Amino acid sequence: MAMIEFAHVGKRYGGRFEALADLNFSVERGEMVFLTGHSGAGKSSVLRLLMALERPSRGRISVAGHDITNLHVSQIPFYRRQIGVVYQNHQLLYDRSVFDNVALPLIIQGAAPQDARRRVHAALDKIGLLHREKALPIELSGGEQQRIGIARAVVTKPAMLLADEPTGNLDPQLSADIMRLFEDFNRIGTTVLLASHDLALIARLRHRVLKLRDGRLIGDEGAA
Amino acid sequence: MSQTPRRSTEAAEKSRRGARSHRITFESRSRAWRRHHEQMAVDSLHRLRQRPLSSLMTMLAIAIAMVLPASLWLALSSAQLLDNNLDDSARMTLYLDPALSESQAMDITDRVRGDSDIASTELITAAAGLESFQQRLGMSDALAMMDDNPLPATILVQPRSRDPDAAQTLTERLGKIEGVTDARLDMAWLERLRELSELGRRVVLAFGVLFALGVLLVVGNTIRLAVESRRQEIEVVTLIGATHAFVRRPFLYVGVWYGLGGGILALLLLTVGRRWLSAPIDMLASGFGSHFSLPGIGLGGSVLLLICSTLLGLVGAWLAVSRHLADISPR
Repeated sequence: MAMIEFAHVGKRYGGRFEALADLNFSVERGEMVFLTGHSGAGKSSVLRLLMALERPSRGRISVAGHDITNLHVSQIPFYRRQIGVVYQNHQLLYDRSVFDNVALPLIIQGAAPQDARRRVHAALDKIGLLHREKALPIELSGGEQQRIGIARAVVTKPAMLLADEPTGNLDPQLSADIMRLFEDFNRIGTTVLLASHDLALIARLRHRVLKLRDGRLIGDEGAA
Repeated sequence: MSQTPRRSTEAAEKSRRGARSHRITFESRSRAWRRHHEQMAVDSLHRLRQRPLSSLMTMLAIAIAMVLPASLWLALSSAQLLDNNLDDSARMTLYLDPALSESQAMDITDRVRGDSDIASTELITAAAGLESFQQRLGMSDALAMMDDNPLPATILVQPRSRDPDAAQTLTERLGKIEGVTDARLDMAWLERLRELSELGRRVVLAFGVLFALGVLLVVGNTIRLAVESRRQEIEVVTLIGATHAFVRRPFLYVGVWYGLGGGILALLLLTVGRRWLSAPIDMLASGFGSHFSLPGIGLGGSVLLLICSTLLGLVGAWLAVSRHLADISPR
């Protein structure tokens, strides 16, 4: 079954500007896919629709077999708990420790404290920052902050991981490290959809690439 | 390529295991809900303590808005204008002929008491009337200078019916009894008192509603600023699946603390105000030979005031946060 399915999806802003036009694609469970294109091509719109931050103007989107096009406002939080999202600007809370940041999704979902602690430690261990759990995000480098963002996205073991330019502000070496992390999560069954315009990096990684231009799909390379 | 199938079964196995360990039971969720309530209650109190001056000013604004209608209500109830047993004062006074002897006056009282329309009677003899007059007004010297007692004996009559028309006919009938020089039912006075009481009630209600609205605005505005300063945090927790209730909770507690703190300050102001006014009022009252003292708000009134202020804080916070949450809902 497809994890993500876009069927004739269109998105207009303010009635005129067409960010997405008749977009059709699907991503299988367990796939790792890059979404690429120039800025303004519609990458962010695709992610925002998948995060239920916006609703499509036309068409239908389903995730794991569920139609999310007309998700009721009260259901949106529970839908978002099923997906992990990594942001270019990390979206960390700078007045809380690394541990508290990573624990946040678990607290929201109502996990028991000892269970949460165990899982936060496992996630921090995975990204190699367990020793910084008491630090504040501001004390960490950009690459480390991004890894905290990833730890927070995966701490609930979501079936799907979305990332919006996760390596946007990082040097090539750090970018490669971050990508390896995503590949690791993909290897254990997580579906990963990454928006990026770092074509050199994408080319090296040999995954499926969806190419967008002006809100349309103009390429689907390396499909399984 | 040959490793693809193995990788996918391994992946499926891992994700199954992940799903199992990930399950969050209902009990754990309800425990977490309670825990979050406790944490937010403490955390919001802590946030107020971090900015004591501005917190205190907000609470003081709430307190002032609560004190005004509360003290108005107290003043009115102290005048017993709000009292429901106002109807009991619908009684009539029969003035007896001063020439009658005390035993004759008693005879008339007995006859009046026998009437089926009358609930009770009370004879105040001329001597008793004079005595109470002296006591109440402290004018013993002036009255002592008079040779005769200028006061007639009177009978206070409490009718059974509370109907004004029935009271009017009864008064007329009683006035015709031999030995009764005059029978009076002060309806106009009663009506006026009732109108005044109704006016007082409405004024209190109007002030109550206006000041309640004031409390809502004060709390709403303060919470709006708090929401504004934590906008990024709200955005982040919403992105990772926080419900509206989760986002609202800390702010609702802030509202509750503001309301409760404002209520406590209002009680404090009322108590201090009463103390401050009680000395001159006692002096004034004793000058008239009376024992009048300002009524306190009492335990019931205090609890009611605290409940009202806390609820207003809660509702004000709710409105402020809900407006913001509506702004960030998907379009």
